[in-house]
Amino acid sequence: MIAQVPPNLTELLGQVIGYIYPNEIEIHWSILIVVYPYLTGLVAGAFILASLVKVFNVKEVQPTYRLALLTALSFLLVAPFPLLLHLGHMERSFEIFLAPHLSSAMAMFGFVYAWYLMGILLLEIWFEYRRDLVVWGREHKPPLRWVYRALSLFSNDISEQAVAFDRKAVRTITIVGIPSAFLLHGYVGFIFGSIKANPWWSSVLMPIVFLMSAIVSGIALVLFLYMVITSLRNEPLDMKCLDKVASYLFYAVVVDFSLEALDFIHRLYQSEESVKILAQLISVKLFMNLVILQVLLGMLVPLAVLVAARTRRVNPDLRKLLYFTAALLIQLGIFSTRWNVVIGGQLFSKSFRGLMAYKMEMTGLEGLVTALGLLLAPFLILFVLVRLLPAKRAEEAPIHPA
Amino acid sequence: MKLPEQVTRIAVVVALVATLALLVRFVLIPRAYFSTAVHQSATVRREVARPVNFAGASACQDCHAEEWEKKALGYHKGLACETCHGPAAGHAEDPMSVKPFAPRDRKFCPVCHAYDAARPTGFPQINTESHNPLKPCITCHNPHDPVPPETPKECAACHAQIARTVALSAHALLPCATCHTASKEHRIAPRSALPSKPQTREFCGQCHAGGTANPDAPKVELASHGGGYLCWQCHYPHLPEGRP
Ligand code: HEC
Ligand code: HEC
Ligand code: HEC
Ligand code: HEC
Ligand code: HEC
Ligand code: HEC
Ligand code: HEC
Ligand code: HEC
Repeated sequence: MIAQVPPNLTELLGQVIGYIYPNEIEIHWSILIVVYPYLTGLVAGAFILASLVKVFNVKEVQPTYRLALLTALSFLLVAPFPLLLHLGHMERSFEIFLAPHLSSAMAMFGFVYAWYLMGILLLEIWFEYRRDLVVWGREHKPPLRWVYRALSLFSNDISEQAVAFDRKAVRTITIVGIPSAFLLHGYVGFIFGSIKANPWWSSVLMPIVFLMSAIVSGIALVLFLYMVITSLRNEPLDMKCLDKVASYLFYAVVVDFSLEALDFIHRLYQSEESVKILAQLISVKLFMNLVILQVLLGMLVPLAVLVAARTRRVNPDLRKLLYFTAALLIQLGIFSTRWNVVIGGQLFSKSFRGLMAYKMEMTGLEGLVTALGLLLAPFLILFVLVRLLPAKRAEEAPIHPA
Repeated sequence: MKLPEQVTRIAVVVALVATLALLVRFVLIPRAYFSTAVHQSATVRREVARPVNFAGASACQDCHAEEWEKKALGYHKGLACETCHGPAAGHAEDPMSVKPFAPRDRKFCPVCHAYDAARPTGFPQINTESHNPLKPCITCHNPHDPVPPETPKECAACHAQIARTVALSAHALLPCATCHTASKEHRIAPRSALPSKPQTREFCGQCHAGGTANPDAPKVELASHGGGYLCWQCHYPHLPEGRP
């Protein structure tokens, strides 16, 4: 006898291939859980790009430094929302801080997040902008003056000594920040990688693969934002900076691609009992998303584009166009990567004998509209932040004191 | 070295946040909120208060040594007695007044043995619809030692009367298979896999029509003998008569 199936699942039942267990028909981790690692990845990647300036003294990338920091902040602010919306009862989320569950990786996320947001990003941004905040606080009229003064915590001192201290503080925070950024996103990969029962996820390489793809997506995003914002302002693009960022992007994609290929070959060679269903998963369910979008359009084509832009002596205008295309394609590719990990990992039965189907909602709490909203929100936040905290350093301090 | 003033400012903010967090965590929220001891002892008390239903896997051995030993050597050695007999703690304490349940109907065994694609390959499964329907499983399988019954290889085991009849007839030397094709299935589930029976006059004509090879078989004119009726409407095939 066939058990009673809820009406919204009967359609899916028709798309099942092979044998599955009765409780597997419903896919629980929806598109919101795809959005979540995508967002945190952008945060970590943008932050690491910013760190290059401070830690390794890469002068060329300086123009993107502040933009990268603000990008990281605005995406980080939105990052927990996919999870909270998915879990429901947001008002209870603070309880994980009050009664910490030390042996659950998922429960520890709150602390990783809080540390990264408050211990690293906000501090670094504050030290980086403090001098400018003081200056703007003097220049602007109320009410903006009060905003800047409050943001600067009413500090006043912009002497050479104090500013030198700020620089040192930023550098120190960045050095602590790099492992923290690794922690933030490596942790997301860790959660998937440590799920023993799921052969598509269970892999020690998972955190590292997540991290590399995070770096790729973050760099591509900052590149994209830098080009868009600068063009909107009718300012000239700094070609040296663009070339440098693009070359980092290129190396990151190469490393990321190699790691993922390594992971793939390793699975193939190990050929555990799951290998058959995974092959079927790739060829039946994920062909479009994995082979076409992730590997071909998201990696190989951008690689070719970046190589073309570097080797040929192409003129700057064409080069800009090529970088822009590569950055966009890479975003597409990394989003597919997240999709393939999260959704792909839930599309095959634990019996290894069948494949399920995922049908995205449109308007529900876990639907496409919510996901798009969450993807858009960081850009709105960034818009406000960039307005409030311009990338350009403030002019020399006005002579009269506040 | 004198600390720059912004350090004191940020330190004040950090200290404020930290104090607030510690205050909430250690002062405002009652300790009981974090204690699992309360929940634990309540759970233990609740569970301990429940009546014991199962006697355990080895409790039955003392009084039912026969079933115990039989089962221990059979295919069902991995099953506890109470898997089939249900919780029997009451019976083990007072065997005479409490009788455990024994699943004698056909519904019970298929819980494990009905065909299901998700069961491991090689696990003995049957199709309940066609596997000897109507009869309880225990008529053919001993639940404590469920070897599949030996199926008779000879048709005579079940069709004794026909076999004895044929044995005394003119067709005594013809094996049943000359006229019936019976699959192996027929011996396991006879009614769901019936053998074939001859259908046409030409079938008997193979031996009895004029001009056919078999010299021992008396010949008739196939076209006219018996006037178009099937041969077995006049001759019983298992004891054919015709010669005066
Ligand atoms: C203290 C000895 C004792 C123990 C222990 C015991 N039994 Fe019995 N059992 C008996 C006796 C005696 C009878 C026969 C009662 C009768 O003939 O009316 C019996 C009868 C039965 C019957 C037949 C009931 C019927 O309807 O004919 C079953 C089934 C049974 N026992 C199962 C078990 C199982 C399973 C266990 C282990 C959980 C068990 N017994 C433990 C003494 C015991
Ligand atoms: C696969 C299920 C199954 C298991 C396991 C099982 N039994 Fe039974 N048992 C039955 C069934 C069915 C009957 C009824 C048999 C009948 O009426 O012919 C029965 C009957 C009995 C009887 C009644 C005597 C009889 O032969 O009719 C006793 C006693 C008994 N079982 C004891 C045990 C003990 C002791 C064990 C554990 C060693 C055990 N059973 C394990 C299914 C099982
Ligand atoms: C709790 C599950 C369970 C129940 C209930 C159960 N069996 Fe079994 N049965 C098994 C297992 C396990 C085996 C051993 C399979 C193996 O050896 O791989 C088995 C083996 C058998 C076999 C041997 C088949 C073969 O050729 O290997 C028969 C026959 C059988 N059971 C009949 C029955 C009958 C009749 C009943 C009902 C009284 C019954 N079973 C109830 C689990 C069960
Ligand atoms: C009329 C007698 C009869 C009845 C009733 C009967 N069986 Fe069988 N069963 C057999 C025979 C005969 C075989 C052996 C078939 C073979 O050799 O392939 C068998 C085989 C089996 C097997 C082993 C199948 C395999 O593939 O190894 C299982 C399991 C089984 N029976 C379970 C049951 C269950 C459960 C019931 C009750 C729903 C039941 N039987 C009722 C006669 C019976
Ligand atoms: C396990 C017992 C058993 C064995 C062994 C057996 N049969 Fe049967 N046979 C039956 C039963 C039961 C019927 C059904 C009788 C009825 O439906 O009334 C039957 C029916 C038949 C029929 C009649 C089919 C019909 O359409 O009416 C033929 C012919 C037959 N058997 C031939 C054979 C031959 C030939 C063999 C030896 C290869 C054989 N049987 C072995 C039990 C058996
Ligand atoms: C010469 C051919 C022939 C031989 C040999 C023969 N049968 Fe038949 N049998 C028939 C025919 C023809 C029928 C069909 C009778 C009818 O439909 O009325 C039949 C019918 C049957 C039936 C159905 C029940 C009945 O009495 O109508 C059974 C059972 C059967 N045979 C069993 C056997 C067995 C067992 C043997 C071997 C011992 C055997 N037969 C040998 C020709 C033969
Ligand atoms: C494989 C060959 C063969 C087939 C097929 C066959 N028979 Fe026969 N039949 C014989 C032989 C041989 C004899 C004579 C045996 C003897 O007399 O020793 C015989 C004898 C006879 C007799 C004469 C019996 C007597 O002595 O009075 C009749 C009637 C008969 N068969 C009818 C049939 C019918 C009806 C069929 C079809 C259902 C049939 N036979 C199928 C070989 C066959
Ligand atoms: C209408 C009834 C009838 C039918 C149908 C019939 N027979 Fe006969 N058969 C008889 C009678 C009566 C005899 C006795 C001898 C005679 O008078 O011809 C006989 C005799 C025989 C003999 C013995 C002949 C001899 O010379 O010893 C054979 C063999 C025979 N039949 C086979 C068949 C065959 C084969 C068929 C089917 C094609 C068949 N019969 C159909 C009535 C019939």
